[in-house]
Amino acid sequence: MRRRDFLLRTAAALATTSAATHIAGLPVRASSPLLSLPPGVMENDNVLIIIQLFGGNDALNTVIPAENDEYYRIRPTLAIPKNQAWRWSGTDLYLHPALAGSGIYGGGFGGLMDQGRLAIVQDVGYDNPNLSHFRSTDIWLSGINSSDPFVRLNEGWIGRFFARVLPDFPAVLPEHPLCVQIGGTLSLLFQSAKGDVGIALTDPQKFFELGRGATPDEEPLPELDAYAREFNYIRSVAAQADRYSQAVLDAYSRGRTTVDYGNSGLPAQLGMIARLISGGLKTKVYLCYLGGFDTHVQQQEADDVTKGVHPSLLAQLASGVAKFMDDAIAQGFAQRVVGITISEFGRRPYENGSRGTDHGAAGVQFVFGDGSSIRSSRFGTAPNLQELDSNGDLIYQNDYRRLYADILLNWFDATPDDTAAILGDRIAPLNVIKRRSVSSVSPIEPSTDAVTVVPNPVATSGEVVVRLRRLASATVELYNIRGQFVGELFRGLLPEGTSRVALPPLRAGSYLVLLRAGEYSAQATFVVSR
Amino acid sequence: MNRRAFLGLERRSPVRPAVPTASIEPYRQPLSRDDALHLLRRATLGPTPVLVEQLTGLRAEEAVDMLLGDPNSEPPVPSPGAWVNQAQEDPDGVDIVTRGQIEATWQNNFTQLQQWWIDLMRTETLPAREKLVLFWSGHFTTEFTYDLGYIPPQVLYRQNLMLRQMRLANFRAFLEEVTLDCAMLEYLGGTLNVAGKPNENYAREMMELYSTGIGWYTEGDVKEAARVLTGWKASLYSDAPAPNGIFNTWFKPSDHDTGAKQYLGYTIPARDQDTNTEYLVRTQEVRRMIEILFQQRPEAIARFIVGKLYRFFVYSNPEGTDSDALAALMNVFIANDFELRPLVRTLLTSEHFFDPANRGVQIKTPAEYVVGLARQLGVQLPNAAAALARMEQDLMDPPDVSGWKGYRTWISTKTIPQRVQYAQQIIATLSDQQAQQLVRSLPNWQSADTFVVELCRLLLPRPLSADRLRYYTDMLLSGAPSYEWASIVNDSQAIGSRLRTLLRAVVKAPDYHLC
Repeated sequence: MRRRDFLLRTAAALATTSAATHIAGLPVRASSPLLSLPPGVMENDNVLIIIQLFGGNDALNTVIPAENDEYYRIRPTLAIPKNQAWRWSGTDLYLHPALAGSGIYGGGFGGLMDQGRLAIVQDVGYDNPNLSHFRSTDIWLSGINSSDPFVRLNEGWIGRFFARVLPDFPAVLPEHPLCVQIGGTLSLLFQSAKGDVGIALTDPQKFFELGRGATPDEEPLPELDAYAREFNYIRSVAAQADRYSQAVLDAYSRGRTTVDYGNSGLPAQLGMIARLISGGLKTKVYLCYLGGFDTHVQQQEADDVTKGVHPSLLAQLASGVAKFMDDAIAQGFAQRVVGITISEFGRRPYENGSRGTDHGAAGVQFVFGDGSSIRSSRFGTAPNLQELDSNGDLIYQNDYRRLYADILLNWFDATPDDTAAILGDRIAPLNVIKRRSVSSVSPIEPSTDAVTVVPNPVATSGEVVVRLRRLASATVELYNIRGQFVGELFRGLLPEGTSRVALPPLRAGSYLVLLRAGEYSAQATFVVSR
Repeated sequence: MNRRAFLGLERRSPVRPAVPTASIEPYRQPLSRDDALHLLRRATLGPTPVLVEQLTGLRAEEAVDMLLGDPNSEPPVPSPGAWVNQAQEDPDGVDIVTRGQIEATWQNNFTQLQQWWIDLMRTETLPAREKLVLFWSGHFTTEFTYDLGYIPPQVLYRQNLMLRQMRLANFRAFLEEVTLDCAMLEYLGGTLNVAGKPNENYAREMMELYSTGIGWYTEGDVKEAARVLTGWKASLYSDAPAPNGIFNTWFKPSDHDTGAKQYLGYTIPARDQDTNTEYLVRTQEVRRMIEILFQQRPEAIARFIVGKLYRFFVYSNPEGTDSDALAALMNVFIANDFELRPLVRTLLTSEHFFDPANRGVQIKTPAEYVVGLARQLGVQLPNAAAALARMEQDLMDPPDVSGWKGYRTWISTKTIPQRVQYAQQIIATLSDQQAQQLVRSLPNWQSADTFVVELCRLLLPRPLSADRLRYYTDMLLSGAPSYEWASIVNDSQAIGSRLRTLLRAVVKAPDYHLC
C-alpha cells in the first residue's frame, strides 16, 4: 500500500511538472516574503496560553468561601468543609483541595500561590449575564458583550488584535503561525474579518505528514461572489497547513520537556505547547481546552469531596499548569509565558436537587506565570452570597475584559487606542501583568504610588495626586470599580514631580483611577462616601 | 478537433449574478443536467451518474418529490444487527470489570451503528432520506459519549429511526417526540428531573437550541418548563424498570410536579392524583406546553428553523440579500402550521435555490465530502466512521449539545489534510475495472477532453477555466497524444492508474470541498 501510494504520488508530481511547463500560472506555489511585524507587537517574545474550561466552572467550589456560613447553608451536600480546603497564608482565600494539590493529587495551585506564580480573579463577568453555554462562550471569546442576542459574534478578540496590528495579513503570512489551537476545529477566538489568524492541530507529526504539500494547485479567485470567497478561504487554510507543517514539526523535534505530562487530557496539551515553545516556535497565542464543567448532576462524590467529576477536572487543571510552570522554569522560558483560564460562566450559588449546580453568572479566573511577569495575588474579594441577581446568581466585581485589556496593553504592547477598539470600549487593565521591559526612562516609576486619591474615602471633594519622574504627555482616566470607563479627568503634559487633578462630583461608590504616560500606566482605587 | 466545440459543453455563462433572486416560486424549466447535479449535491450525500440521468428533464417538483419520499409508506431500513434488541445492565451498579465489558460492548455496537448509517448514506438512491436525517441529527443533538458516561447505542439507533420517520412531519409533533425520546431524556437530564428538584437542562435547550433560538423566553419560563417535564424515565438497562418495554419511555407519577405552571404567560393547571397519568400529563402538560410555545412564538420558531434549514441546504452564510427569500419561507412554514414537507419542498424547488449564485457556495460536511466521493466512484468506505471523527464529524456524537457549528469550522489546518488523505485512500481502492466502468458511464467519454469536462461536472460544482481543464486533461493523458485516448480506456490498467492520479488532484482542489 505504501509503495503504491508513493508511485501514484510520483505520477501526480510528474504530471504537475509537465503541465507547468506550458501553462502559465499553474501550478501555483506563491512564496510569501517573511512577515515584517510592526514594532511593539512582536519585538518582544511574549507568549499567551489560554485554557478554556468549557461547561461553566463552578467558581464557588473552586475558590471556597470557607468563612461564609451562607455558603454552607446553600450548598448542603456540595460545600467543601473548611478543614479540607487549602488556605492561602492566613487569608480568607481557600482553594478546593483537588485544585490546591494536597493529598493524592500532588503539586497544584496551592504550590503556585506559595511560589508567587498564580493570581486569582474573583467574580468575573459582564452585564446581563447570558446563561447559554454557547452565547456566553461567544461573548467571552469575542470580547464583546452584546446584550442583543441576535447580534452575531463573528470575530475573536485575539483575531481582531492581529487583524488590526498586521495590516498586510493575510496577503503576507508570518513565518510561524500566530496562534495555535490544540484541537480540530478553529475557535472563534482566532477568527477575524480578515480570516483565521490561527491553526488547529492535535499532533505535530501527523500535522506535518498530512499538511506537507497540501497547498492546492489552483490560484485564488477574484472575490466577486460567495463562491470565490469560500474557494479562497479553503485554499488559504490548506496553504497554511502546508506552510506551517514544517515549522511546527521542526520546533516539536527540537523542543523537549523536562517533566512527565502523561499522554492525555489537559496536561498533555500543555506538554505539547511546552515542547513547541522550547523548540523555538514563534507562536504568540496558544489555546487549549478542558471540557466537562457542565456539572448539573453529581458533581462530586457524596462521601469524599476530593473525588468525582468536578474535583478531577480541577486536579487536571492544577497538575497540568503546575507541571508546565515547573518545566518552563527548568527550561528557562517561564518569564516569557503567561497563562489564563476562561470559562463561559460560574454556576448558581444554590445547589440543585441532583447534587449538582445549574448555570450561573460571575465566575473565577486564574492567571499563571513567573513572578517577574505577574502580580501573584487575589483580585477582588470573596463573593457576596447575600446579594444575588434576580436569577439568584453572583453579581460580578470585575469586567471580564479587564484581563484582556491587561494582556493587550502590557503583554502584547498594544496601544490604548487599539485596545479600546478591540474591546469595544475603554477598559481598565486588571493590573496583574507586569510589563517585562520597563525602561529606565519611563515617566512612571514602577512599584511606587505614582497615582493616589486624597482623601480616601472622598467625602465632599477630592483630588488625584500624580507623581512623574519626568515631564510627560499623560492622561488620567476614571473607571468604575468593575473596570468600565466613566470619564477622562485630564489629558495633556504633566511636569516632573507632583501634580494634582481635581475630582468631579461623583456618586457614592468605589472607583478606579488610571494614569497613563506613554505606554506605561498605574492605577489606584478609591471610595466616594457622601 | 475544434476546441470551441467542446468548450461549448461547459456550463459557462460568462457573467454570473452575485445576488440570487429572492423568488421562492417553483423553478419552471425542466431540470438540465446541471440543475439535477445541483439538486443532488444539496438534497443527497452526492450525485451519482445514475441519479443524474433519472432526474434530468423532470420538473423540479417531480424530482424533489422523488427525492423526499414518503416516510409513512416506505419499507423499514435493514437493522444494524441483533444487538439493537439486547440490553445490558446499568454500568453504574456493577463491579468495575463488568462495567468495562458493558462499555466495550457499547463502543463496539456504536461503531457498527455509525457504519450502518454511513452505508445507508452511501448506497441510497430514491428516495434520498439521509441528508435530512443528518440535518435533524445535528439539530436534535444527542451524544454517545457525554459528561456522565454513555447513551446506550440501542436507543441512539431508535432515535435515528425516529428522526427518519419524522423528518418531514409537523415540527410541533416532532418536538414532542424528541422531548420524550429515550436517548434525549437520558442525555439532557430529563430522567433526573423530578418534582422538587427540577433539572433545567432540557427545558432550556428545547427553546434555545431546538425551537425558538435564544432570547425568546425568560429564565422563569425555563424553570416552569422544567417543572412541566418532571417525571419521565427511560428504560435503558436490563436491570431497570420497563413498564412500556425495554428502550422505551415511561412516566412515574410520584416524580411529576402536579402543581400549576406559568409558562409564557399561560397557566397549565394543577392536577390531582387521579389525573396524574402518563397519557394525561403527556397531552395536557407536555403537548400543551409545546402548543403554547408555538402559539406564542411562531415567528421565532419559523425564523430559527427556516434559517437553520437554509444554512444547511442553500448557503451557510446568508447575506442581507437573502432575507426576502428567508422571510417568504418563514411565511410558508407558518401558513402550513409548521408542516415540514411543504417548507422543505418549497425550498428545494424554488427559483432561489436553483439560482446560479447559490451553486457551489456550500462547504461540504465531512460526510458529504467522504460519502459523496464513494457514491461518485461506486466504492466502499473502509473505517469511515473513524475517518469522519478525525474530520470532526463523529456521527451521533457531536462535540456538545449545540451540535456541529458547520460552515467554515469544517475547514481547519487539521481537517483539510485529514479530508484529502482519506479521500486519496478511497481513490486508491478504485480498481482498474471500476475506473474503466466509471469512464464509460459518463456521457461524452469518447474523447479525453470531453471526458474531463464531464468528470469535473460530476465532481465539482462550477465550470472550470479552459486552463484548468487542459491541466487535468494533460495529467490524464500524461504525455500520450490525445488520439491514444481510446486505447488508454481499453487498457484497464492504463486508465486505472491515470484516472486515480487525476482524482487525487481533484480532491485536493478547493472546489472539491464545495457543493
